[in-house]
Amino acid sequence: MITQSTRGRLVTGGAVLTAAALALSGCGRSEESPESAPQASTSIGSDPATGNLTVWAMGTEGENLPKLTKEFEAANPGTKVTVTPIPWDAAHNKFTTAITAQSLPDAAMVGTTWMGEFADLGALDPTPAGIDTSSFFPGALDTTKVKDVGYGVPWYVETRVVYYRKDLAAKAGITTPPTDWDGLKAMAKAMQDKAGAKYGINLQPGGQGSWQSVMPFAWSAGANITSDDDKEFTLDTPEMQEGLKYYQSFFTEKIAGTDLPPNQTEAQFVSGQAPMFISGPWMAGSIAKLGGDKIKPNIGVFELPKNKTSTSFVGGSNFVVFKASKNKDGAWKLVKWLSDGKTQADWFKLSTDLPAVQAAWKDPSIANDPLLPVFGKQLETAKAPPAIVNWEQVATAFDTEVEKMAKAGQSPEETAKAIQTKASSIGTGS
Amino acid sequence: MRSLRRETAAAWILVLPFVVLFLAFTAGPVLGSFGMSFTDIKQRDLRTPFAVEGVGLDNYVKALSDETFRKAAFNTAYFVVVGVPLTLAVALAAAVLLDRGIKRFQALFKVGYYLPVVTSIVAIAVIWRFVLAPDAGLLNTVLGWFGIDGPNWLASKTWAMPSLIAMAVWRNFGSAMIIFLAGLQGIPATVEEAGQIDGAGPWQRFRYLIVPLLRPTILFTSVTTGIGYLQFFEEPLVMTQGGPLNSTLSVSMYTYQQFGFGNYGLATSMAYILFVVIAVITFIQFRLLREK
Repeated sequence: MITQSTRGRLVTGGAVLTAAALALSGCGRSEESPESAPQASTSIGSDPATGNLTVWAMGTEGENLPKLTKEFEAANPGTKVTVTPIPWDAAHNKFTTAITAQSLPDAAMVGTTWMGEFADLGALDPTPAGIDTSSFFPGALDTTKVKDVGYGVPWYVETRVVYYRKDLAAKAGITTPPTDWDGLKAMAKAMQDKAGAKYGINLQPGGQGSWQSVMPFAWSAGANITSDDDKEFTLDTPEMQEGLKYYQSFFTEKIAGTDLPPNQTEAQFVSGQAPMFISGPWMAGSIAKLGGDKIKPNIGVFELPKNKTSTSFVGGSNFVVFKASKNKDGAWKLVKWLSDGKTQADWFKLSTDLPAVQAAWKDPSIANDPLLPVFGKQLETAKAPPAIVNWEQVATAFDTEVEKMAKAGQSPEETAKAIQTKASSIGTGS
Repeated sequence: MRSLRRETAAAWILVLPFVVLFLAFTAGPVLGSFGMSFTDIKQRDLRTPFAVEGVGLDNYVKALSDETFRKAAFNTAYFVVVGVPLTLAVALAAAVLLDRGIKRFQALFKVGYYLPVVTSIVAIAVIWRFVLAPDAGLLNTVLGWFGIDGPNWLASKTWAMPSLIAMAVWRNFGSAMIIFLAGLQGIPATVEEAGQIDGAGPWQRFRYLIVPLLRPTILFTSVTTGIGYLQFFEEPLVMTQGGPLNSTLSVSMYTYQQFGFGNYGLATSMAYILFVVIAVITFIQFRLLREK
């Protein structure tokens, strides 16, 4: 029962809120003046770095980085680098909070897909001229570019290739890895028919991050996520549909399954239940950990099969300097030092993170590895999603539609259309 | 008169710390977020929170016309409509058993039933994933003994939600049970004796004597359980991430996702929609279960 006095209070409350809303709406966005592109404000001198530097880094990189920065301190007397490790799952929030509060470190490792957002918040310092950007893999370098301005450098990279069980492939009668789409499917089918696999290949049937498995096929078919100026999404193109169609065909032909328990790819690979999958360099280590020495010689990798091209996904992390840093000169010197070929090779030995600098791949520790050169080859053409502000949100919508396509039989045409519609309504955010 | 005024002044001084804290940390943020829900505020506006455009009810319209939000609302309703009565029924049954049936080891049972309430959801999720695992899971193994081929519970569009409801009931009925138990113990034995003398059987005594006397307790537990279930969030977050095909995505979880994407205006409007629904449902519960 609403009494008279309650009603009175509701009316007053409503009036106050309306007034507050009106007052707020009165504030309004300031008219956005056509800004000129941000310019690099620092140049890197050749003299040694000085002063204190604080650096944030995530996960195991955060734990291992101090070992590396000791060498930097030794080469630059008087510099002290303090590394704060941050857990991955808290990192994005910590960065956005710190950007708002302007309590940022001098430099930090950041995920490649956060670049658009952080640059949009005006937090990143454009890369100065003294850094040789031509030494990086082009796909990785693209992840540092937001609206054609470079921020920071790619620090380490990863890309996706096809893993397969060599022993089972031999059983299935396959001696040379396939190089085209038909070949890949035929190989997966043979694994199922002749080598006793439940599913020929393990493909993610939607769910978080499945766009990273789907986009390589779409890219290979010639698709693009956005138009060249990153202003509009181009997700509903014949090329995109072709990639989706190929991906779906694995499920409709029962070569890949939707009923495998997720996150057990390694176990399914070792048991031979699903002797192929597409993933990044870390998987070799986790398979060996699970399957022991017996499985090691049976791990094989090959580049993604070709349609128009063989284009995989490039991920990893970048290293950036923040605009608010009081020691930008020192921070950029650290970045320059980190992207030196020799430092990158040292870092690989410390962390097993793959170097973003191409020259570092000549180091014997990488060049003589049985699997890694395949990743190096794949990286030369690998692509990253454009650095747009709303990418994470678009990716979530993408994953949902892929799930509908893989599990509920939504046609590739409808899927492409739905992704495009959702992405357009989310917008690029710029 | 003067002393009264002095007392009033003293009272104000005494409540001042609370009022200041309340205004600064409770009322302020609540009103602020309510205001936010009428603007187009996004993550990038955080440094200049007043430089945003008012958009009226756009966020609310956008939320209500969002297909995924409606799906989340449907899932939440499903969870509440099935989950709340089930939790209360199980809790009441357990309370009656403990009150009337089991005399020995009563404390042990109480602790046992209450334990899930205080256990970390992450630990519970790990165990339940084992129970619900498709091939070697406990549930499907047991079903296998009877020749039933159990589904892949958490990966099935049909079964994922019932699985989560079962888990939520198991996890939450302990608190309601304790309150029912207190309520039952507050009913004097003479009431039942009187019923017995009038020739009422056990079921009739329960239905026409005990349940009406428990009305305030039922009201309390249904309101608290209802509010908790309307905000359900942890279960899908740890068990299914809202999948498969958004079939376990709840309103709270979708709101949380929107916050994660930095769409603060839209996310707060979703939060207020949920708030209004909770207020309305609680109001209805009070009306239905009030003393007559």
